[in-house]
Amino acid sequence: MKYAVLLSLLFAGHASAAVPTFQQRADAMIDAYAHYNGPGDYGYAEIAARLKRHEQPEWCSKKLEELLAAPTGDMFWMFPVTAIAYLDQGQLSDSARQSLRRVWKTYMPYRGDTENHFLLYYSCLYLMAQYWPDAGPESWYNGKTSQANMEEARQWIESWVKLTTTRGQGEYDSPHYMGVYLLPISYLAAWAKDPVMKNRAQMMLEYLIADYAPENLDGLFVGAHARIYEEQLVERWNGVSTDFGWLWFGLGHPLKLPANYVLYYLLASAFEPPEILKKIATDRSKPYTHYERKRTRNRWRFYDDLHGPVYKTTYVRREYSVGSDQGGALQPIQEHSWDVTWHVPDAQGIQNTFFFNHPYSSMKELQTFFVFPPDGAIEGIIKSKKTYDSPDKILGGSAYEKIVQDQDALVALYNIPAGTRFPQINGFFSKDLKEITEDRSGWIFMRGGDSTYIACRPLQPYDWKPFGESKRLFSPYLQNGVVVQAAAANEFSSLAAFGAAIKALSLEFETSPTPRVKFRSLRGTLIEFTYGETPRLNGKPIDYAHWPLFGGPFLQADVDSESLTMTYGSMKRTLDFKHLTITD
Amino acid sequence: MRFLVALWLLSLPVAAQSTLAVCASNSKDYVVGAKLPPSGVFLNENGHWRHVGFNQPFIVALDYDPADPSTLYLAAGNGLFRAAKHGEEWTQLTGSDVTELRDVSVDPTDPKTIYFAYSHGIRVTHDRGQTWEELAATLHRRYTEAVRVDRAQSKRIVIGGEEGVFRSEDGGKTWLIAGAAGFQILRIEQSPQHACEWLATTQGAGLFASHDCAKTFENSGRIGVGRDLYSISFDPTNALRIALGGWGPGVAISEDGGKTWHERNHGLPRPDVWSVIFDPNHAGRIYASVQEEGMYVSDDAGLTWKPAGLEGSVAWRMKFIP
Repeated sequence: MKYAVLLSLLFAGHASAAVPTFQQRADAMIDAYAHYNGPGDYGYAEIAARLKRHEQPEWCSKKLEELLAAPTGDMFWMFPVTAIAYLDQGQLSDSARQSLRRVWKTYMPYRGDTENHFLLYYSCLYLMAQYWPDAGPESWYNGKTSQANMEEARQWIESWVKLTTTRGQGEYDSPHYMGVYLLPISYLAAWAKDPVMKNRAQMMLEYLIADYAPENLDGLFVGAHARIYEEQLVERWNGVSTDFGWLWFGLGHPLKLPANYVLYYLLASAFEPPEILKKIATDRSKPYTHYERKRTRNRWRFYDDLHGPVYKTTYVRREYSVGSDQGGALQPIQEHSWDVTWHVPDAQGIQNTFFFNHPYSSMKELQTFFVFPPDGAIEGIIKSKKTYDSPDKILGGSAYEKIVQDQDALVALYNIPAGTRFPQINGFFSKDLKEITEDRSGWIFMRGGDSTYIACRPLQPYDWKPFGESKRLFSPYLQNGVVVQAAAANEFSSLAAFGAAIKALSLEFETSPTPRVKFRSLRGTLIEFTYGETPRLNGKPIDYAHWPLFGGPFLQADVDSESLTMTYGSMKRTLDFKHLTITD
Repeated sequence: MRFLVALWLLSLPVAAQSTLAVCASNSKDYVVGAKLPPSGVFLNENGHWRHVGFNQPFIVALDYDPADPSTLYLAAGNGLFRAAKHGEEWTQLTGSDVTELRDVSVDPTDPKTIYFAYSHGIRVTHDRGQTWEELAATLHRRYTEAVRVDRAQSKRIVIGGEEGVFRSEDGGKTWLIAGAAGFQILRIEQSPQHACEWLATTQGAGLFASHDCAKTFENSGRIGVGRDLYSISFDPTNALRIALGGWGPGVAISEDGGKTWHERNHGLPRPDVWSVIFDPNHAGRIYASVQEEGMYVSDDAGLTWKPAGLEGSVAWRMKFIP
């Protein structure tokens, strides 16, 4: 008990000790670029930051002309250049401004093949068409008038908002790409002249932040992700979401140099979340389970429906989180389906996460989500996603993985067809897990930081392989699985006591012919799960048909509702996208 | 003498006017958002390649307006483009509702009518791109890789998608399976000499041929099974000669109308070929695009090959423009 009191004081102290204000945090992030004085420069980002600060306009003009002489980057080029146009406000030279105008005729950005690409492309096209409202088709790379470009962009942006508020985001909860959604919406909220577009964007900013708030632990974006990069997968602090957690809520620690997505967010709306979102993001006084329904990426082939549902469960408490989706190939290449992530006072450099996966590398997966021809596709992918076709990869979902979660217990089953490339499962055992104990019962017990105990029961034999400073559990069996149970360290007197409690839980399983688990969790729930069948909790099949768009103590939204209600104590706030109203 | 004059007259229009246009990507070190080496549309002018129009990574097919061959139509990631003035002046003809186009086919008897295949269906315009109609609503799976208009019967449309070859006799209102059921189609072409002869290539299942005006396609069973065939070219100067391009077979030539096939890869750096085309101006000349190695040309119907420029590129499609 004394330990628990001490911990709560420590957390309270950390949360309140000299955390700068939102404005101070924002200023520091902008100044990191505006006042950069190291070797070289940050190109467009430095220009934009200095224009925001109304500093060194001559340098900005000269540098801008230099960069515009050879534009590159497609939709990722559009966003800095759009920001510069709006931040100019009379500071740039005529010559620089003419270059800016000319390049929208001579350079054709590729629109891309993901929703984040499209949102960047169309938000920037909308704003630049608004910027030059009377420009004719001869003035634009695509041969359309400003009016036509604006209308096309408006239609896509509105359709994306509607799809997101009815069926969830397609590139959901990405610790990296969240920035690529926030940035263009921040632009529209700040710079759109049409009050309807502006209002919708301002509401959408709240919506996107609300999507993050209950799924963060100390500012780390936890739970299942549509897309994540390896460096942030193992070191949860090390990515874009960290900057936003710090900016919005003062949580965690920002990156050494803020990601340029957060910079551009600040250069436009610099939207500060309302108080209710601050409460939701920071109050971890009681454990809770948060539910979300999201959407798969466009499935061009092999499915009857363009999008399929993603069912997310995220259990969060002060000490740790357990998050998952239902498994399957929901997104190509960078899907992350489940993990346990534990609290550490300072997550910089710490690999505070634990998970398994099947290293799925499949032409069929690529052809589902991309229009690639079959040959050369995998070699094309590994140009930028290096580990995709590697047997030791720990990133990516699998068509042969199915998951069920109840609170902080989770079962992942694998049924891998014979002949599948990489017929094994990998478990990531971080360098920062302590006291890893392989019990004779088959359970593995371990401690994450000072806060969390984790038990995991691989269903098949395994070996250990080195994985950088960490290690990888390697289990080369086609029918396989793992049972995971987490608990707060302060619930037990020791890891051994935790282990004893876990071993006392009833667990039955078989792997052949089909993986199957029956497990009574630490919280008393009977989890029955057979691969390929609907899981049962306490005898009842999970009702996926009524899974909410958002559900839990803080966020509520029904599928197709176009609204989101946030609740915290007596506070309540509803975003209604049908009527574009906010009600407190 | 009269025979020589007649031959000269016969060859003059083609030889004087046909230009090879290719849509190519210089994709070796490219990922989305990175600096893009010259990519897009290239015209071969007296053996030299000239890049025309915008630098774009994903232009995968092209056709031209038969009423004005200086106007090209480009199937691109961003949508369908009209590239007028010999490819120099581009206008995007589609909006946000279509993406990642795969093929384009202009009706040779009605240039206002243009079809394109894309990631989620097939669209047609009857007014040169001012308005579009979706044609895939009744298909079980909408992904479409290939589309061709029958030059002898303009209401007959032949498409290839995820589930085989489909034919429409009413301009795309209704579809009937024509063959290769269950196989991903990669390319469809109609013989320039015999309008009722068609070929379709597949992912893994080889070549399918139709001898009944695209009513039925049967597996030829002779080439490309287990590999992927990406390209078909009928030799306009020799009705019996056909070329296929694919990964593994490289370039395969038939000299007997498709009865037998011979792989002809001597001089190619690797047998992984995206596109092939016979030159209507030179009997026996054929071009091939080799994976990230650029263009190769043969003057003896594929028996020997030599480099022909666009080093490091992939030419997804080639077309001779009158």
